[in-house]
Formats: sequence, C-alpha cells, structure tokens
Amino acid sequence: MSSISMRVNGEMRTATVAPETTLLRFLREQLNLTGAKLGCDVGDCGACTVIVDGMAVNACLMLADQADGRDVLTIEGLATRDQLHPLQQAFEIHAALQCGFCGPGVIMSAKALLDETPDPTVQEINDALAGNLCRCTGYTKMVAAIQDVARSRGAGTVKLPAPGNSGRA
Amino acid sequence: MTVDTKLETPVDTQTMEQAVLEPATLRLPAVTPPVPFPIETLVPDTRQQTPAVGQRATRSDGRLHGLGQTKYIDDITLPGMLYARIKRAGVASARIVRVDTSAAEAMPGVMAVLTGREIPVNSFGPSFQDQPVLADERVFHAGDGVAAVAAVTEQIAIDALEKIKVEYEPLPAVFDPVEAMKESAPKVHPPNSNIYATKVIKRGDLDRGFAESAHVFERQFRTQMVEHVPLEPHATLAEWDANGRVTLWTTLGRITLGRTDIARTLKMPVNRIRVVGTIVGGNFGGKNEITQEPVLALLSKKTGRPVKGVFSRREEFISSTTRHPFVMDYKTGVDKEGKIIARKVRLVLDGGAYCSWSETTLGKACILAPGPYNIDNVHVEAFVVYTNKTMTGAMRGFGAPQVCFAYESHMDDIAAALGIDPLEIRLRNVFDEGSISPTGQVLHSVVVRDSLLTAAERFGWREGRP
Repeated sequence: MSSISMRVNGEMRTATVAPETTLLRFLREQLNLTGAKLGCDVGDCGACTVIVDGMAVNACLMLADQADGRDVLTIEGLATRDQLHPLQQAFEIHAALQCGFCGPGVIMSAKALLDETPDPTVQEINDALAGNLCRCTGYTKMVAAIQDVARSRGAGTVKLPAPGNSGRA
Repeated sequence: MTVDTKLETPVDTQTMEQAVLEPATLRLPAVTPPVPFPIETLVPDTRQQTPAVGQRATRSDGRLHGLGQTKYIDDITLPGMLYARIKRAGVASARIVRVDTSAAEAMPGVMAVLTGREIPVNSFGPSFQDQPVLADERVFHAGDGVAAVAAVTEQIAIDALEKIKVEYEPLPAVFDPVEAMKESAPKVHPPNSNIYATKVIKRGDLDRGFAESAHVFERQFRTQMVEHVPLEPHATLAEWDANGRVTLWTTLGRITLGRTDIARTLKMPVNRIRVVGTIVGGNFGGKNEITQEPVLALLSKKTGRPVKGVFSRREEFISSTTRHPFVMDYKTGVDKEGKIIARKVRLVLDGGAYCSWSETTLGKACILAPGPYNIDNVHVEAFVVYTNKTMTGAMRGFGAPQVCFAYESHMDDIAAALGIDPLEIRLRNVFDEGSISPTGQVLHSVVVRDSLLTAAERFGWREGRP
C-alpha cells in the first residue's frame, strides 16, 4: 500500500492505494468520480481520458501512484453549479453524444487540445480525437461542436444558442 | 483496502477534531466530493418537436452525458457489493470431465464459486434454448463460461479463476460452415444436424430463365465475423433479497424478453424477477439477450450480497454475439442489355455455437438476397449451421449488409463483363413504384431510381466517364 496525494478537480485528495491501482480505478472506486469510463482497460478506446498536468492521458494505463503530486482534471471538474463548460454546452446542442459512454473522454481530449491550440484545424481536432473511439454518434458532430467552441472563443464571447429544445434551427 | 480520503477544506469540523484526537483509531470516511453541475434539469419538450422532420432536436439525456453524470451499470455501487468474473473454456469442443473449484474457494476474499451444474435450468435462447448459461457437460465454443467467482475485489476474482481446474476431454470440432453441412462433419449439438434452420424463396421458372439468358454469371462471396464492440461492455449488477426476489440492473436492450429467459434459467416465477434497464452505452444488437445475468443472480443468492459483473474487452469478442459470416453463391442470367432474367442464390450462414437470433437473420437475408431489382425468376435457398465458434446473433441489418455486399459486387461484375456503365445496369433493373418483391409484396414509395440518379449527380459519377 502506498500513500498518494494529488489535486483532483482543484481539491487536494489524499488516499492509500494498493500498488496495482490504476488512476482510473482510484478515481472511479475511491473518489466516486465515475465520469471517466472503463471501456477496454488497455488504452485503446479513450473512454477513460482525463487531464493530468494539462495533458490528456488514458487513466486506465496510468497508475494512481504515478499521479502522485500532480494535477488531475476529470469531466466532473468542468462545469460549475451555474454553468456548463462551453464544450459540454456545444456537445449538447450538436447532439454529439448519443449513448454518451465515450463522451466524457472525448470532451476531455477536446479540452486538452483547445487549452494548447485555441484555434485548431479539422486535422488537428481529428488527431486529438484519434485515441477516442465512438461507435454511436460518429465524429462529425463532435468535430463541429469543438470547432464551434474554438470559433466563439476566438470572438471573445461564447456565442452559442441556449441549450435544450430552443436550440433547434 | 484502506481508504483515507479527505478534503483540503474540512466540511465536518467535528469529525475532523475527532480524527485529530484519535488518529490511529478513527479515520475520516471516504467522502464523496460534491460534484458541481447545474441543478436546472432539462424537461424534454417532445410535443414541440413534432413534426420532427426539418427540426433540430436535442437529446434530453445529452446534458447528463456531457457532465459525466449518466449512471451506467458500472457506475452503480451497492453497499457490500462483490465482483464476479467468469472462467472461459479456451477450448472449442470438449467434454467437461471435472471442475475442481476447491483451491479457488479457499482463497481469502473469495465469497462464492458457481459452476454450470448449480444452475436450475441451464439453457436459454431467444428462439432455440440451445445455449447453456455456464457449460456443464460439454463446451461448444472457446468463449463458453465454465465457472464463475464472486470476490471482494475484481482482482481477487480474476486470480481465483486461475485456481479453478477444469479437466477436458477434447472432442472433434468444426469451424467452417460449408464443412459443417456435410454428413461426415462432427455434430456441434449431437444428435441434431448442424443445419438448424433453412428457408427457400421461389418465384417464376428458374431453369427457363437461365435458358433464355444471353449470359450467365456465377461467383461466390464470403463475409467475415464482426463484433459489435459497444464502448460499454456487458455489465450486470444483481441483488438477491431476503424475500427471494432478485433485482438485476443490466445493460440488456430487451428487458422483457431477458426477464423471461432469466426466470426460465432460475426456474422461478417471472414476477419475482425485477430487471432494471438503465442507459446502455451502445447496443447495436449485441445486448439483445441475456449473458451473465443468471450467474450473477445465483452468486448473489449464494453470498447474500449484491454482485456486479462487467465483461472484459476480450470477453466482448469471444463470449458475446457477433455478426453472421456468410458464404454466398450467386448465379445470374441476363439478356444482351443487362436486364436480369434469372437469379439463383445460395446462402450458408455460419451460426457459431448457438442459434441466438439466427432465424431472424436468415429470414431477412433471404428476402433481401436478390437485391432491389425486378427479376421474374428467382430461387433463394439458405441454411444456417452450427460451428464451434463464437455464437452469432442480432446485429444491425440482420443479414442485409452481407447480401448487399454480394449482390452489388455481382452487379458490378456483370456490368464490367458486358461493358455497361455500373449505374446504367442498375437503372435498367431497379424496383419502381408498384414493383413486386420476390416474396410477393407490392412496393410503394419506391425512390431507389431517384436516389441513384441524385447520388450520381451529387458525387459527380459521370465526370471523366465516356
């Protein structure tokens, strides 16, 4: 057992974990942050994507121990009680999440991209999502949603229609 | 496993003080952090979304998905919950001589072990009940479960599987569907024939049609096995309560059908089984029937605790249903202009070890096998056969994509051989308003010709062609 301490969604968390505990299992089972999903457990599907020190990582391939002392951001850390993160809002409006299982991972990959590259090309978005598999929605709407966020950020304001049914064209 | 989790800002100062007073004996509970997300929830305004055509619709569950707050089965935890894993046979065809679970049962942390012999009625299936919940006497394919373990952690359950010793007596196996049709082939489910369902569709006079044809083309097409690969693996959480009722939270797409299958295998009235279908992380037909539900129910009964089971990605591939591989023999007679006069189709569907939804797939494949073309003389015969491979079942299209690949490839072959434009040969043959399908259905709202012409125009089919 080893004692670890990391910042998760802005708060310091300390825990004792078995050495084989992955970051994903630590987040899901011990912190009850179930937004990151276990899809394949071998780093192929990207459903477990979280951001560690600004970089999108497969939480199923990283040991909790390796995240000791680092800054971890999960899907639960994006929204506030008052408002959605622009990516979450754009994904909702574009109906870019069908079954939604891959969604948190895709959004975290997109966030890591936009933090690094505020105005990405379609190719850059495709590259950033290369490690995230989706079987229902397809990637077109996701790419459109990410482009929307990038564009509205470039304009200085988030110009997105209100969520919900009023979002229809 | 001890958990010592605390927030930087103490929420409960009283508990904190106690913790400081008695650090060795009193620990802070693993506090679930408050997840900040907007409290305002979406109420779907469905009436305003009708009529839907031309309207932009937003999924009513889209917000929770984006927040990561949707609870799939694996996100649900019950107090005292155990984790189950199933041991897979790893041999395609064998008689099970004995199963020794004693070493696994002796492991610390293992709460129960289950074998096929403990299942009240060890067979299920949507049309034929030919599938064991856990193989007891015989293994039919390598992905068959032979024993299951419930343990306090998933890792202990995985380790315990290796302690279970299964002695097999290998039996002859058959893997090719065409081989499996032969009388001499080993029987997958003896004494029954490997051919377990057939269908024939006839229209007109095939022999006369071929005799009148200017050209006759023949070719065999084959397709491969395909797995659905839903992002969310099959998952179930079972809780057997003290009143003898069982509640199953499961990824099942067809919960009513699954409930009757579970009732049958557990040999108990259907009203004592409660199935809770939650949001499914991708189905595509692969979650249309039960898999591990009875196993988890019985493990929960044995241990008196809730039991969760989640398939590994490997199990998704070897132990869940897949798309039928087809062997398709097409023979088509055409006149000089490429008009189809006669078509004979013979389909052999590789059903794998169990029937599952094969009958449905067989039927749909037969109806669609001649293609969307006016053909006066048609003969379709189809067989679905057992092989010692992963079972095949429902998957999007139910046999339609396989035959579509074959008849459209065949059309291209004919067009190339006759020097006719591939679009033109289709326009000469496609269904029109009022056309009669090979099964005698009069077709309405037929737009295949318009679709072909519009598509050809949009993607520039004629460009660069003579």
